[in-house]
Amino acid sequence: MVMTVLAGFAAAAAFAVVYRVPKSEIFLCGVAGGCGWLAFCGARGVGEVGAYFLAAAAAALLSEILARVRSQPVIVYLIPGVIPLVPGGMAYTTMLKFLQNEYGAGLELLAATFFAAGAVAGGITVVSSAFRAFGSTKNRREKLR
Amino acid sequence: MEDCVDLILTAGEVLLTSGAEIHRVEETIERMGRAAGFARVEVFATPTGLFVSLYSPQGQVFSRVRRIRHVSNHLARIACVNALSRAYAAGNISTAELREALAELTHAAADPSWPLYVGSALGCGAFSLLFGGSFLDAAFAALVGMLVAALSAFLRRFPVPNVVTAALGGALAALVARACGAFFAVDLSKVILGAVMVLVPGVIMTTALRDMLSGELVSGVSRGAEAVAVALAVAAGVAGVLSLGVI
Repeated sequence: MVMTVLAGFAAAAAFAVVYRVPKSEIFLCGVAGGCGWLAFCGARGVGEVGAYFLAAAAAALLSEILARVRSQPVIVYLIPGVIPLVPGGMAYTTMLKFLQNEYGAGLELLAATFFAAGAVAGGITVVSSAFRAFGSTKNRREKLR
Repeated sequence: MEDCVDLILTAGEVLLTSGAEIHRVEETIERMGRAAGFARVEVFATPTGLFVSLYSPQGQVFSRVRRIRHVSNHLARIACVNALSRAYAAGNISTAELREALAELTHAAADPSWPLYVGSALGCGAFSLLFGGSFLDAAFAALVGMLVAALSAFLRRFPVPNVVTAALGGALAALVARACGAFFAVDLSKVILGAVMVLVPGVIMTTALRDMLSGELVSGVSRGAEAVAVALAVAAGVAGVLSLGVI
């Protein structure tokens, strides 16, 4: 458990380097990824798809907060933060099964991949639209003043 | 006012080629267009092209198209353009300063590539652990992942489509992993799965669905198609090499 959360942290921080985030933010990107993976492990009880949704929402929430505190765009933390969750490996395995003529396993993985990606995207969208809606009313009030 | 048009498009182009979200690109262009004094700004951004029309108060219309060909994630650049556009909109920097800063950004020397290799190696190793691999699997995944990252960085110098890079990367990963598997007791599938993590389209697929959910249907469909093509190409490269010895 501790081991895998550390691996989630390392994966997020390492891909933060690959995606060339500003150097000062690499550690925080890792924190976002580790927290997302911790939430995923903790929420597994509600089922795989629900866990992906909740974990992505947690990572997105942390990214939105970090972005405001550190005055960086959200994407700097969000992309590395959800890296451990996004089903890239699953998409590859799906195609590999199809190519190896294991169509049954491939179809099963295809559905799992689609729902995992949808759940991650949904979790991010829910959090970011809540922040955008709140942010825009705040801006409007400032303009009225 | 006309000299601002190219500047605004360049900012949008840098954002798109660095992997920014569609709504950020459109918002940035609208913000900068208004700051430059245009009465109306119409922008349509897609992952493969940028279309902008700027209406001056005198009734002139400037319409421009930029073709977006090669996208590689560079989040620091996105942060930089974001900060510049906000400073410009707030009136903190002049048009000349903005032009200079953008030129510096687009003509900057390429970043050193060693952090990319180290990051790829660590990332691939970490993913191998996340997928339930042993430490030995992770070490080999890191080694193979670094080679795959080096290959795709090398191929980027030539006009090679993304899909070809993905297929060759997958083939290299499977080849080296098999060679390692001949000498060490590693779980071949875990090593390969970890090593191809620098190629697989996890982020692209999630972004495609995010675009769909927020109503950006054109971007969603085109990114979704890219994700399917890249995943298939990686798998084809791996499956090709894995089937070689079986015959």
